[in-house]
Amino acid sequence: MARPRPTDSAADGIPVLALRGVTKTYANGKSALRDVNLSVPEGDFVFLVGPSGAGKSTLIRLLIREELATRGKVMLDGRDLARLKRRDVPKIRRRIGIVFQDFKLLPNKSVRDNVAFALEVTGTPRSRIGPSVDRVLRVVGLSGQADQRPAELSGGEQQRTAIARALVHDPHLFIADEPTGNLDPLISWEIIQLLLRINEMGVTVLMATHNAEVVTALRKRVVGLEDGRVVRDEVGAAYHRED
Amino acid sequence: MIAFVAFSLKRAWQGFWRNSLMSLAATASMVLMLTLLSGLVILLAGLDATLKYVESEVEVVAYLKDSATAQDVAQLTTDLKAMPQVTTVAYISKDQALKNFQERQPEVAKLVDSLPSNPLPASFEISLRDPGDYIDVATYLRGQGAVDSVQDIKKTVSQMISVINVLRTGGIAVLAIVGLTVLFIIVNTIRLAVVARAEEIEIMRLVGASDAFIRWPFIFEGALVGFFGAAITIGLLLLVQAPLASLLSDFFNVLPVQASAMVGQNVALIVMATGVGIGVVGSYVSVRSYLAR
Repeated sequence: MARPRPTDSAADGIPVLALRGVTKTYANGKSALRDVNLSVPEGDFVFLVGPSGAGKSTLIRLLIREELATRGKVMLDGRDLARLKRRDVPKIRRRIGIVFQDFKLLPNKSVRDNVAFALEVTGTPRSRIGPSVDRVLRVVGLSGQADQRPAELSGGEQQRTAIARALVHDPHLFIADEPTGNLDPLISWEIIQLLLRINEMGVTVLMATHNAEVVTALRKRVVGLEDGRVVRDEVGAAYHRED
Repeated sequence: MIAFVAFSLKRAWQGFWRNSLMSLAATASMVLMLTLLSGLVILLAGLDATLKYVESEVEVVAYLKDSATAQDVAQLTTDLKAMPQVTTVAYISKDQALKNFQERQPEVAKLVDSLPSNPLPASFEISLRDPGDYIDVATYLRGQGAVDSVQDIKKTVSQMISVINVLRTGGIAVLAIVGLTVLFIIVNTIRLAVVARAEEIEIMRLVGASDAFIRWPFIFEGALVGFFGAAITIGLLLLVQAPLASLLSDFFNVLPVQASAMVGQNVALIVMATGVGIGVVGSYVSVRSYLAR
């Protein structure tokens, strides 16, 4: 059954991500996060749950340094994101793969070109782009659809394209923000299976979701946010609190 | 580095044609501005050449009294040659002056023959290093007893200089206004290009593209507008070069000015540098303000 997650010991090494007393207050005075502490060691699979407006998206925006914390520290691989130089931000982002509910694919590019785009815009030599794209397309099972455009794909295939793009830089943290929000239950399970496989490859996965069925079935670590606070952090837990 | 340049150029090219109407409008306004610029440059170059010619012809002509002795002449010649402002000193004797006059005006020559004595004064023709030194030399000459009068052509030169200055100032003011307008158009064109690519820019940020990869394609796109504008302008100038050259040589036919050489390399270079420069500055401003994050 679910048990509270033990606090980190030094033996865990440097966590992939760590939040220490993080508060985020927006200019309009609204507090999105209040004194959040969270530590995710390498190889972990974490569900981030909570009602809409609980602060899940804000947390993710802090992790990819789209925004900075008002107070507290956000650390990625032991590096304080607030102290990161502007030119180092892209380098950190290449170590994070991220997918969203709305896929964010470029409609006028093929599956292959959508994935290749992530390498092209980071200055990867042309000779290395082709093999890398082929490899991640195999991982997500889209080798056969490489030349199709997003409009010709199902929702699940579009999300797999987005996952392939997020994987192409070999990230060691994979963030999925409501990845199954637009998908039917069967397709959702396919996407979850894919994320589990990515996790088995050694990639730390953080998935924000409302999908109770998936969370409860998998019995992974569950971090619950409510009104900007961490209200639960349990290993082997269900979507809803079981006490 | 090669990947970066190839990527940026490709995207700039795509961006230019993606919103082709706006890009072509920007290019057209660029052509208009550059045509005005080259017109002004050519006009000013022509006037400058005219001025230089006139200035080079600026001489101080001092007429001597008939009472001036050979000793006076010799003394003046030595003194003038010693002045740093003076390049050459020519003495025209009364006889020489008469001969020159008869050569220039053969019809009235007989009339002069009938005069009892030579009415023309002897004179000095003094070339100056700098027309600005006219006053010094004229003042010196006026103070000499042997000198009767000093011809005043300073006025003509200063009038011409002020005309050129007014033209230059006015031209630059008009150009500045047109240039600012073109800059504004470029800023807007690139802004539209940025908006059109908002989705791609978001994805680029998420996958860890550096600022350079996000920004430089737009700067290249602005440079492309400038380049096309300049190329079209240079093409137009080449088309009108022949008629323009003959027009100019008609206009300036008294002067040893080579009109076709002026519509050449220098103008093409100025046009290209200005076009690409404004394109780059405009898109840089745009990218700075719309891609601030």
